[in-house]
Parts: sequence; structure tokens; C-alpha cells
Amino acid sequence: MIRFSSVAKRYPGGLEALRGVSLEVGDGEMVAITGHSGAGKSTLLRLAAGIERASSGSVVVNGQNLGAMHETALAVLRRRVGFVFQDHKLLYDRSAYENVALPLRIAGFARDEAARRVRAALDKVGLLAREKAMPVALSGGEQQRLCIARAIVNRPMILVADEPTGNLDADYARAIIDLFASFHQVGVTVVLATHDEASLARLGCRRVALAAGLLAQGGSA
Amino acid sequence: MIRSLRRHGHALADALRRMGAQPVASLLSIVVLGVAIALPVVAAVMLKSVAATTASFDTEPHVNVYLALDAGDADAKRVGDTLRSSPDVTGVRFIPRAEALAELQTTTHLAELLGSLDKNPLPDAFTVRMRTTDGARIGAARAAWSALPKVDQVVADFEWSDRLARWARFGERVVIGIAVLLGGAVAFIVAHLIRLQVLTQREEIEVSQLIGATAGDVRRPFLYHGALQGLLAGATAWGLAAAVAAWLSAELLALTPTYAAELKVVFLTPIERLALVGGAAALGLLGAWLAVSRELRRFATDR
Repeated sequence: MIRFSSVAKRYPGGLEALRGVSLEVGDGEMVAITGHSGAGKSTLLRLAAGIERASSGSVVVNGQNLGAMHETALAVLRRRVGFVFQDHKLLYDRSAYENVALPLRIAGFARDEAARRVRAALDKVGLLAREKAMPVALSGGEQQRLCIARAIVNRPMILVADEPTGNLDADYARAIIDLFASFHQVGVTVVLATHDEASLARLGCRRVALAAGLLAQGGSA
Repeated sequence: MIRSLRRHGHALADALRRMGAQPVASLLSIVVLGVAIALPVVAAVMLKSVAATTASFDTEPHVNVYLALDAGDADAKRVGDTLRSSPDVTGVRFIPRAEALAELQTTTHLAELLGSLDKNPLPDAFTVRMRTTDGARIGAARAAWSALPKVDQVVADFEWSDRLARWARFGERVVIGIAVLLGGAVAFIVAHLIRLQVLTQREEIEVSQLIGATAGDVRRPFLYHGALQGLLAGATAWGLAAAVAAWLSAELLALTPTYAAELKVVFLTPIERLALVGGAAALGLLGAWLAVSRELRRFATDR
């Protein structure tokens, strides 16, 4: 479970991205975070994944208060949270295979086990045939799917996606949304930020709306 | 535990891959570091060789008392008793003239010349061990003993040993100073090389941290890289110093017959060689640690 209690996030320079947000996401639940650009969606996701720390209030993930955790423990927790970044964050000098293998390498997996998992993840997103391709040789949709493969390769308990269908055409977007729905069906907690109405309609999950850093709708499960 | 070992294996493989990716640059770096380390090593070997040669010299404070050539046994006994009664004396050794001649014949290449003489040209002598190195007291004793009947000459020539010891200490300090300076240079050169590596891999580091790499995970391959560079530079320094020592040794051995003392280059012991390579690896590790820690702090601030 993810629980935000009166969470605020201020960045250096005074930008207040979140203000007193309280929100609960149950185990195995799928939640869509909506809102305009600058509403605080990305910040909320980064806080949930332990990439950033709240300025005040508490973020608790699976009973662990992220604000009280040491940097090293927070990094270890991030291994169990798959994050699909809006800008992909792929390594462009590494092949598709090597990009997906990176989290397993960090976690210290054996080569054989890592190869098995990487191929399974690439197969899941339909990129097994492109495992040797460099990211620049992949289309935008394929790069997004590669990013999803990297996020799921470590079999995360929580999957977080920041605008996963942004800049994709309708067919690609639909395929990506279906992927998230399939992860949700096998019990993974999914939190994704989007302002794509078609995707939201297809997901049919609980919506949480943010506006100017404040919770506008749907704070509790 | 197994995963932790595997992470170390991955880090070592990463470090080797990075070195292998730029073989010429890696080789040049290692040679530069090796030469820097070899300089104080060669100086230390030279100092050690000088120390080994001078160790055979008698450097304890002593005075030699030579009797006149016509002195008899009774004269020698009288002078010996007088010397032993002095409070500054810790020991007196009588060297009969025949023994002195025999020793001279065996320890020098003058045997043939000495054997051709009609009679022994050497006097009876006493070697007197002194309790003090105080020049004034030894001077007073020397004056008193010179005045004894049948004493021909009193020689107190050991100040050179004190000067030699001081020069040796000075040499040690020079070597330590050079070693500290060049050791620091090695650590900073490695730090600079690793810093460049960190900067070129900034994107990979940042992505890795986002998906769960700890600071230790990020630091580990760079530490292996630094330690490997140091290790190989230490081994290079060992090889270079050994080559220089062998080159000098051949020339020095040719000089040995000219002098009574044995002159040779004393190279590092196996333990010292291990310490050299291990120390160089430690310097590389230190340099890498400084560089990565600094850059990680900068990355965190930039975020």
C-alpha cells in the first residue's frame, strides 16, 4: 500500500509542487493521476517511488516511511518499484537487452537468470526480436515499451508510470495501456500519471485529480 | 552474500571493460604512474644498497693505540693495564703484530707484497672501545695515552661514522619526502582519470541511481578501476626499478675488487615488493574514492 499524509514538496527556488496531499493506494490497485501540466503529477510519482523526499508530511510504502529511510535503504526500495519515465531515461550507447538487464545487474543477479528475465520482459512488451537494437533504432513507442520492460524485469511490487502514452499515436497508446492493465490483473499495484482521456477511459480505474499541487478529487481508495 | 560477491564480480568486469575499451590511454596512464612510483623505489634501493655496504663498517666509537716497533711484551702489558683502568673504556682488545699482518694478508690483495717483506712492518696495537662519543673526553684520553712510554700513535678516527649515519638519515628523509610527494601525485592522477570516467558516464550513473543503485553500487566499479590502475602501476614500477637495479648492479660489481668492501645493489625483498604493489593499489583506490565521492556529491547537488 502507498499512503501520502499531508505531503508537501517544495523545490529550491520556492516552487511548491505539492501542498498537503493525502492519498491512499491499496495493494494491487490501479490508480490514474490526472491533472494539467504543472499540477504535481510527476512529483507525486517520484515521491511514491522514493526518488525524491517530501518536504513535509509522510509517504509510506508497504509500511516503510520513506522520509525516515537512509539513502541506501531508499535505493534498495527503488529496486522493487518499477518506474516508467516520461523521457524514458534509456542508455543510448547500450542495446535494448543491456538496458533491460541494468536493474538485474544492479541487484546482483546471475547471468543466466538475468538473461531469462530480460528475454521474458522483452517478450512481454513485444521487443524480443529487437533485443540487440540500440535505442536510437527504435521508434518512440518501442522506446516506451523498452522502458516498461526495464521497469518490470525486476518483478516490482509497484509499477509507476509518468505519462506513458505521451507523444504516442492512438494505436501505440492503446497497446501500452493494455500492458499496464495486464500487470494490474496479475496483482501489481499500478500508479500512472496521464492526461490522455482515451487512455483513462480504456483503463477504467480510480482517478485522482491534482490541480496546482492540491488534491482535487479521489484521495482515498 | 552470493549476490554481493556477484556485484563485486560485475564491478570488476566493468572496470576491466573500461580499461579494455581504451587500451592505449590505459597503458599510457599505467606507465606514467609506474614511472612516478619507480623514482622513489629506485632511490630507496640505492639507499638500501649503501646501507648494506656501510653496515660492514665498524662504526662504534673506538680508539686505536699503536705501540712502537721495539715495544716488548712487558710494555704491551703495562699499556694494556693503563687503558683498561680508564673509566671511559668499555673494552680493550690486544692485536699482536703477527695477527695484524695475517689479517691484512687475508682481507686485502696485498698478500704478495706483504709476503715479500723481510720483516713485519706492523706494530702491536690495542683497539679500545669507548663508552662516550664526546670529542673533548676522547681527546683528553688520546692525549694521555699518547704520552705513555712505548706508545707510538693514538688514532681516534670514528667521527666519519657519525657523519655517515647522519648522511644516511638525510638520504632516508629525501627518499621519504620524494615518496610522499610522488605518492600524492599518483593518488591525484588516478583521481583525475577516474573523475573523467565518472563525468563521461554521468548519464548511466544517474539512470542507475533512479532504478535502485546505491552510492556503493555506483562507486564500486570506479574503485576497482582505480585499484587496478594502481596495482598495474605498482607492478610496472617494480619492473622498472628491477631493470635499473640490474643495470647499475653490473657496473657496481665490476668495482668490488677495487675496494675492500663488497659493493652490490640490494633490491627489494619479496615482502617489500608486495608492499610496493599493494601500496600502489591502495593509492589508486584512494584516488578513485576521492574522485567518485566528490562527483556523486556534485550530482546530488545538481539534482
